[in-house]
Amino acid sequence: MLQQILSSVFSTDFLASVFRITAPILFAALASAVSERAGVANIGLEGIMMISALSGVLFSAWSQSAFVGVLGAALMGALIGLMMGFFYLKLGTDIILAGIAVNMLGGGGTIFFLYLFTGEKGNSASIPSKMLPTVDIPILKNIPVLGALSGQSILTYVAFLCVILVFILFYKTPLGLKIRAVGENRNAADSVGLSVNRVSYIALAISGILAGLGGAYMSMYYSMGFNANMVAGRGFIALAAQAMGRGEPLGTMLSSMLFGAADALRNNMEGTGLPSQLVSTIPYVITIIGLSLYTASTMNKAKRARKNRALREKKGDAV
Amino acid sequence: MNNEKRLDLKFGIIRGAAAILVSIGVAAVLIFIMSDTPFEALRYMLISPLSSSRQIFGIFERMIPLMFTGLAVCVMFSANQFNLAAEGCVLLGGFMSALCAIYIPMPPVIHVIFSTLIAIIVCGAVMMVPAVLQTKLGANVMVSSLMLNYVIQYTVQYFLVNKFADKSQGATMSLPFLETAMIPKMNYQTSWGFVIGLVMVLLVSIFMYRTRWGYSIRMVGINQKFSGYSGMKVGGIVVLCQVIGGMLSGMGGSVEILGYYDRFKWRLLPGYGWNGVTIAILAKNNPILVPFAAFFLAYLSKGCVNMSIYTDVPSEMLEVIQAVIFLFFAAENFLAKYRQKMVVKQAKSELKHTDAKAAREVAK
Amino acid sequence: MERSVWGQKALYQEKIMQTPEAANAVEMRGITMIYPNGITANQNVDFSVRTGEIHALMGENGAGKSTLMKILFGLEQAEEGEIFVNGEKVRFTSPHAAIAKGIGMVHQHFMLVPSLTVAENMVLGIEPKKAGLFIDYAKAVSLTKEYSEKYNLVVDPHAKIADIPVGVKQKVEILKALVRGAKILILDEPTAVLTTQETEELFKQLLLLKDQGFTIIFISHKLKEIKQITDRITIMRGGKSMGVHETAGITEQEISRLMVGRDVILSVKKDAAQPTHAVLKVRDLNYTNEWGKQMLKNVSFSVRRGEILGIAGVEGNGQSELVEMLFTFEQPNSGQVQLNDTDILGKGQDELRKLGISYIPEDRMVYGAAAAATIEENLISDRFTQKKFNKGPLFNTIAIQQESDRLIKEYQVLAHSRKQRVQMLSGGNIQKVVVAREFSASPQLIIADQPTRGIDVGATEFIRKKMVELSRGGIGVLLVSADLNEIMELSDSLIVMYNGEIVAYFEDTSSLADFEMGEYMLGLKKQSEEEIRGAMHE
Repeated sequence: MLQQILSSVFSTDFLASVFRITAPILFAALASAVSERAGVANIGLEGIMMISALSGVLFSAWSQSAFVGVLGAALMGALIGLMMGFFYLKLGTDIILAGIAVNMLGGGGTIFFLYLFTGEKGNSASIPSKMLPTVDIPILKNIPVLGALSGQSILTYVAFLCVILVFILFYKTPLGLKIRAVGENRNAADSVGLSVNRVSYIALAISGILAGLGGAYMSMYYSMGFNANMVAGRGFIALAAQAMGRGEPLGTMLSSMLFGAADALRNNMEGTGLPSQLVSTIPYVITIIGLSLYTASTMNKAKRARKNRALREKKGDAV
Repeated sequence: MNNEKRLDLKFGIIRGAAAILVSIGVAAVLIFIMSDTPFEALRYMLISPLSSSRQIFGIFERMIPLMFTGLAVCVMFSANQFNLAAEGCVLLGGFMSALCAIYIPMPPVIHVIFSTLIAIIVCGAVMMVPAVLQTKLGANVMVSSLMLNYVIQYTVQYFLVNKFADKSQGATMSLPFLETAMIPKMNYQTSWGFVIGLVMVLLVSIFMYRTRWGYSIRMVGINQKFSGYSGMKVGGIVVLCQVIGGMLSGMGGSVEILGYYDRFKWRLLPGYGWNGVTIAILAKNNPILVPFAAFFLAYLSKGCVNMSIYTDVPSEMLEVIQAVIFLFFAAENFLAKYRQKMVVKQAKSELKHTDAKAAREVAK
Repeated sequence: MERSVWGQKALYQEKIMQTPEAANAVEMRGITMIYPNGITANQNVDFSVRTGEIHALMGENGAGKSTLMKILFGLEQAEEGEIFVNGEKVRFTSPHAAIAKGIGMVHQHFMLVPSLTVAENMVLGIEPKKAGLFIDYAKAVSLTKEYSEKYNLVVDPHAKIADIPVGVKQKVEILKALVRGAKILILDEPTAVLTTQETEELFKQLLLLKDQGFTIIFISHKLKEIKQITDRITIMRGGKSMGVHETAGITEQEISRLMVGRDVILSVKKDAAQPTHAVLKVRDLNYTNEWGKQMLKNVSFSVRRGEILGIAGVEGNGQSELVEMLFTFEQPNSGQVQLNDTDILGKGQDELRKLGISYIPEDRMVYGAAAAATIEENLISDRFTQKKFNKGPLFNTIAIQQESDRLIKEYQVLAHSRKQRVQMLSGGNIQKVVVAREFSASPQLIIADQPTRGIDVGATEFIRKKMVELSRGGIGVLLVSADLNEIMELSDSLIVMYNGEIVAYFEDTSSLADFEMGEYMLGLKKQSEEEIRGAMHE
């Protein structure tokens, strides 16, 4: 059986599924990274993904265009982000509680609005929502491992592209500089006249857009249409991926892929006779373990750094 | 009670009421948009739960698990621990007590107590995982507790489907519970679990306000540094409150399962944990207020269910209302300007009072 | 006959008035500023700076110099007074406005973002753009280099703030101000965090800047440095200006007298101390902080039973670090601390309390009290596990109530009830709650750090009286205070710290003169090894 698993893991199909499964987590993790770097924790990702998933379906059905659907999803995400900002900055609601409220809204609210717009309660099968087109890359698709890169939905490529875009945002744009400054040292930002509030709003809006794209991905490619339990905690896994990635785009991508791989493994093992439910726990268990190992190592690193500095002093090195 | 405190209380009530009004207002708007019979829908949502004794008992019925998770979250939030695994512990607790109810025969009352105890112990132990991971390794307890919920859900599913399912039934469910394990009903509808819940409210209140452990939990939540400097062992206290949270949620799951089911049928997380968060927010982490908050939520819940049965508005309206209440209830600056006016008004009246007093003194 | 302090001030004021109207970069007239808690930070202060000079603003902590500069930089607004910059009347409501008029401030605690590079910190908020969307990083770097070379403040534009030493960080702060067009620089205690070498470098740069026509206001209490590079000095004391003097024309002793001295001497009535053996023994404590600066150098002293030992000194000379070693998990690089022959370094607060140490923290609202909790809850935070307050699993509420009432009465805490939240009390009463708890814990040693800072006279008197009472009863008290009155009148013996070292020990404070204290506190004098060793009792 082990051989069976191994042989299926080292296959193009498996790799392709890893990309496919990682993409929504990656979107949400990047969303978390952007807001976290600005010093505002957005834990409402799960809710935003659900609401955007529904929005994508509704907008695409109404306009009969997948593109408009995605646009609508992203827009909803941005609006929710801004709303969270409003409650946090203007009305003084704890940002964590605001995130929990958004998750609640996502849970029941989506079912409610689905019913409102379609008359259905469990899923959106009855309305003609559009699916995202997939892209076949001609020569690539025949090469063994690299073939995994072909045949993905267009948003999958966008997800990985966003890694680069977020990188550029953080390190190459004035806005990114402001975000990083505000998140790291609020006083420094104040002292040069930056409006911390404005930067926070923008960061939450961007965060909302990214999470929105993740939601659109779920309902317009991963599954056909919207159903009530489709996000299944990805918004929360994304928080862990972000924590492990330290808010760096590349690190976030790698940890998202780790969880994506765990999830893909679960799908793979379904045929092998291992109980599917236990296999379902794998991604979540890996999240807990990964998070603990990571934070443990950073705690140790900080302790070691302090000890080293003290030792250097004793030795008389010039500082 | 001095004037400042009275002002705070008055303002708190006004703000709470405003939050609730806003959320019902939002709900009303949505109902008007979507329903063909908006007034009827509103009537069902707001008034129907009081329309008959059966309805009212229905509210009590719904209150039961909410009280337990509300208490659990109150304890954990009192120490500022955003542990959200109450959800998973309800499921796990229900499952563990179900297993005892099926496979371990015992005399009547003892059976219930034993099954619930097993649920409590197992859930308390499980809660130690995210708690200790945070204290020793610094792992964010919110994330790990959320992950734990899913781990619990799938693990319980596994055992239910593969090891404990009654194959003779169409849907997935366990073998029937032994009669001795089921919690009887007080009247035809409300189980004694309701009383158990109220007793726990009392016990947790006493625990939080009249014992040294509850005191230390609250102090850690108010000012962790101060607590450490005063000599309290903060790490242990943080773990303790989460273990207690787990125990209370597990107990809630057990009481609910043994009170209202004859077989274990839960396959997904039942959602009581999230409601517990709402209740803790409404009750401001004060255990004594939990039954009131639970009543309020259960009332709304019943109203929404009735509304969905008799009209075309789905019951998920409840979550929308909850979310809005959440956002406004916890908003410190909501109506801040109004508070300022109240403060000024009171200061002015105080001034008039002392002036009048002085004038009388002079006149004497 | 020696001219009185006030006479000296008047003399120098005259001299200034007679000088022809030099172009004044900054002129502040009649500045008065009162904080919400009633303390007058600045009282009718006049302050003027000539263009192109390096002007020192001196005073102890609490003298009002930081407040005056905060007003100049727009961080605070004065109640009364006028400000003129380059002859133009101004009123700054924010730092933005001050920056626009060419004023730049380098704060004591750097306002830099650690993970960003030097160049990025430089252009934060004024980023040069490429194609409208991207940062022109090359431009930021060249801008940094340009200013760096022009003013000889050598920095590596690509280095991350977290990786560079403190001295370089300061250069970045100065460059930050310059690149935003500052012609008048305010430096707030710039050498407090620098090593000797870095200080020398800084002075070279400042002189260069002066040559290029910049005006520099240098806030400090370090006499030798002031003498080294400044042109004129304005001294502040107790919120008032003691006048402006030419640096060359005034001696360090004279400055010291003007800076350190009490207008009113508040004596504390107390019986003579009869100290016995040591309860706290500190030996050879050395500590270098995470930025490489040695904050404690071979500190050795003892606190004896029955006495109040004061630690005097201008803040920032190692006193806070010393207290940290005694009551937190902070570990020194070397040395020992013993309480009654038990080593206490690195021990947790619960153990320290069990051993008999009570602590009145400087930051009372963070460590000393839980603001949202009741008075009662605050009073029992160190003793709530004791048998007498518990009946089995429950609290013995009557015992707790009695304890609270007793303490509230004994310490004269003004409150409606013991169930009142601490945050609703006045500052003085909050401190009385803290003191009530700490003093009633039957300690062997009390560490009191700025115990009467910012509280009303009544509470202050009460707390001091209590401290004397306890020490006469056989407890050892270690008092750290920046309030000269407090440290000189309340202490029985006293240590002066300067630059992380003990520079003086006085076993008997009763005949100590203000000017003597000043000279030790400002580093002008240091006792002999033998005299200092006198602090180490057994």
